Amino acid sequence: MIIVSRFVVFWALVLALQAAPLAAQQLVVSDKPEDVSITIYRAPDRGDRPINAGWPQGYALITETRTINLPAGEALVRFEGVSEGLFPESAIITGLPNGVREKNRDARLLSPQGLVDAYLKRAVSITRTDKATGLSRTENVFITAGPDGGVIFESDAGFEALRCTGLPERMTFSEVPTGLSAKPTLSILTTSERPTSAKLTLTYLASGFDWQANYVATVRKSEAGEQTKMDLFAWLTVANGGKQSFDNADMMVIAGEPNREAREDQLRPTGGALQIRCWPMQRTDQVPYRTGYPPPPPPPPPPPAMAMMDAAGGESIIVTAQRRNGEMLAMAAPVAAVVAEQEDLGDLKLYRVPERVTVNAKGQKQVAMIVQPDVRYDRVYVADARDYSGDSAPLSYILRSRNDEKSGLGVPLPAGQVAVFENSPVGPLLAGEGDLPDRAIDNEVEILVGQSSDVRLSVNELRRTKSKSYQRATISNARDHPVDVEMEIPYEIAGRARGVKKIDGVPTWRLTVPAHDEAELDYSIHLR
Amino acid sequence: MRLFGFAGFLLASAATPAISQSAPDESAQGDISVTIYNNNQALVQDVRTLNLPRGRSKQQFPDVSAQIRAETVTLSGPAIGIVEQNFDFDLLTPAKLMEKAVGQTVTLIRTNPATGAETRVRAQILAANGGVVMKIGDTIEVLRDDGLPVRVIFDRVPPNLRARPTLSITLESAGGQVPTALSYLTPGLGWKADYVTLFDEAKQTIDVQGWVTLTNNSGTDYRNANVLLVAGSPNNGRGRNSSPQWPTGTIDSAGTESNDRERLGDYYLYPLAERTTVANAQQKQVSFLDVTAAPARKVYEYTNGWLGSSDAASASSVLKFSTSRSGGLGDQLPAGIMRVYMRDRRGDPQFIGESQIEATPMGSSMSIRTGDAFDVKVKTVVEERTRRSASRWRTKMRYEVTNARPEAVTVDLAQSGLWGDVRIEQESQASERLSADKVEWSLNVPANGSVTVTATFDSRY
Repeated sequence: MIIVSRFVVFWALVLALQAAPLAAQQLVVSDKPEDVSITIYRAPDRGDRPINAGWPQGYALITETRTINLPAGEALVRFEGVSEGLFPESAIITGLPNGVREKNRDARLLSPQGLVDAYLKRAVSITRTDKATGLSRTENVFITAGPDGGVIFESDAGFEALRCTGLPERMTFSEVPTGLSAKPTLSILTTSERPTSAKLTLTYLASGFDWQANYVATVRKSEAGEQTKMDLFAWLTVANGGKQSFDNADMMVIAGEPNREAREDQLRPTGGALQIRCWPMQRTDQVPYRTGYPPPPPPPPPPPAMAMMDAAGGESIIVTAQRRNGEMLAMAAPVAAVVAEQEDLGDLKLYRVPERVTVNAKGQKQVAMIVQPDVRYDRVYVADARDYSGDSAPLSYILRSRNDEKSGLGVPLPAGQVAVFENSPVGPLLAGEGDLPDRAIDNEVEILVGQSSDVRLSVNELRRTKSKSYQRATISNARDHPVDVEMEIPYEIAGRARGVKKIDGVPTWRLTVPAHDEAELDYSIHLR
Repeated sequence: MRLFGFAGFLLASAATPAISQSAPDESAQGDISVTIYNNNQALVQDVRTLNLPRGRSKQQFPDVSAQIRAETVTLSGPAIGIVEQNFDFDLLTPAKLMEKAVGQTVTLIRTNPATGAETRVRAQILAANGGVVMKIGDTIEVLRDDGLPVRVIFDRVPPNLRARPTLSITLESAGGQVPTALSYLTPGLGWKADYVTLFDEAKQTIDVQGWVTLTNNSGTDYRNANVLLVAGSPNNGRGRNSSPQWPTGTIDSAGTESNDRERLGDYYLYPLAERTTVANAQQKQVSFLDVTAAPARKVYEYTNGWLGSSDAASASSVLKFSTSRSGGLGDQLPAGIMRVYMRDRRGDPQFIGESQIEATPMGSSMSIRTGDAFDVKVKTVVEERTRRSASRWRTKMRYEVTNARPEAVTVDLAQSGLWGDVRIEQESQASERLSADKVEWSLNVPANGSVTVTATFDSRY
């Protein structure tokens, strides 16, 4: 905490300032929060795309506790160390004795351009250093024009343009103009009757955060005829794309879809480098030369170090026939010591990490959020008859369960990616990756895993009349156990077809194909 | 006048040459009032005292908006007459300076790179095309053709070139100190409202704080200004535009109440209580509304499009409240964004969604969609579609509303796309035809339960 009295800093200017009340304001700088809690919201409409690690598209609600020493009278409280993605209009400040008179976010940056702009029509010093002797000479000059297109100043001799001479020239300014700051700054105006220490809560929304659930479904070994089960584990994956770390913070995430409105672009910070464009500078030996061709492509990158070592007769990789230890890898499902706790927040779901954590700048963090062993599921092969032709093609398969306690679930499942691991002689291996939308308790849960080349479908058109098409579907199963298949026929079926029932309005052929066997269905559909 | 001051400064600073004492924060603005409209438009009124000579004089007005609409400038004051107003925006840059010096004589200071010795020569600029060609004595040469450092010193800057776009007014006056009022319109200043709403679900109340958020992008600071905000977007003269703004759908029924808030015609005025400095590139917020414990309730809504089907679509959570004097917020609401917060189990406020609202009269009943409900889902199924004749179809729909919350909820389920001539032949529960296009069922869904509605529509398509 630094208290700088503007009155003292600008004692020389008090008489010059027209805005006399400003001089009575005292500057209080709150440089960092003592305590911070951060609640992260998913990027709206991201769907099943991954988090954009460079600049995550979600946002966060950040609540900071700060203590400041307020002087008597009017004070300007400047907050430093806030997240760079801060939406200033969302800032809420509580805990002040007399409330907030006004909140400001200033984006005039202290920069070469900003300095020249502030010192236009005012005096600065120019120092020129002689390259031969090392002697420097300082001259007081007066800025006539700038910073757009260059700087023109007036010296004793006349008018000159900065840095068009070829001499080393340096401008010196007497002080930092008020209103220019190193970063866009949030500040408030408040008053207090007497000097006091105030504990403030600063709450704001900030961009540059995102999170999602990352599920790991590990399929358990099961015997034929036994109910199939899997262990469902979910990581809460949080990304912070900003430059600000949050140390020892309370962390929460919100699942669900809060409405977000398009917001207007934030005021762009002003300032930047001085762009000096001098008068024409061509010499007599400089002939304009334009080939009109693009420059040659850059040379190819050097080969990676590994290959170079190999070429030099160094190390090389040998594939051995050794088997990996399946028993060891079967324990690959992580054991969580800390699991995020879930609570309801209105119509959203809040997950709270029970311990304080540090959310690093430009970092990603994972904490367990769901641990559900022994989830009962059915493996179902699914197809849409429209997608198949006379040539047999593989069927997709899904893991289907119901989000209830009977199935070993019964917890809200936030949207995320699901990696499905299945058993193999060398331990669990990745079988496929699917994604899951938000699923409430009692909703059906379906994870699309992959395709099976052993379970195939062909749909042949046998005959066609003006009004009907006669088709035959053939499903073959090359696996050593029976499989459940659901084939949707999204047409109007003419007459009856054996085994076809409407499920949610769509005629569906639902059957179990025995091991090493085939099944056939003849049906006809209305054409129109 | 300025040169005189400059010379004085040089004398004063002769003892301490390195550090100048000039203040960078002065402004030529006088008593300034800024009136800001919603549509990125502001009226600036600046009362400046001018020291005028007798007769005609040309007065410059620095520190006006950098985006000033010069055609809207008016200057008034006792006993002054306007001869002409000029707005010059030809900027003074090194290139322009050299271009305008063609034909004139400048001073060159050459520095010897070995010794540092300086020599001065006078040169006449002949041309500035690609390189600067000049005549020194009887010879012609190109500036800095040898690449050595040369200072070019101009005797004067050309008239009509400015550091900033400058407003100047030529006027006739009897002389003396004259208070004048300068007024103009400028874009680059705008405002909207931001609302912070804390919803207490147990008590079914909301606390609402309203903030005006004004932004200054105009390139200029307005120091110690009197700020007035106008809730309205005046027509900006681009023809007659009588088509209404696209509604946001947040007003269920428009109110008919009024209060004693100041008005300008049909617009409401929000004056800031104290003078303030509106700096360039600044976003400023000032409170204008603070209401605690206004009644509010939450409902769920879902609208299905014609022949729409979905596995489990979330219903919208909607917050309903009133802006009337009794049992409401008791004020007009300027257009802006309302952010809704709720306390979590530990009592900390958490953000639960936001919604754009339009300028809302007092006494309106409002519904704000805060987001999608995680636990209240609607499954819609087209059960059957049969063709009855060449021009009629029969469509059987099934709607299954599930509630995974531990308390019963009310869901307003609507089917739209009825085009006026779609009839409901049969339905499992009585509906209300809201309009030709839309029919609605109000469903009470028990805690951790579900409700199914079926309906058969007779339609042309």
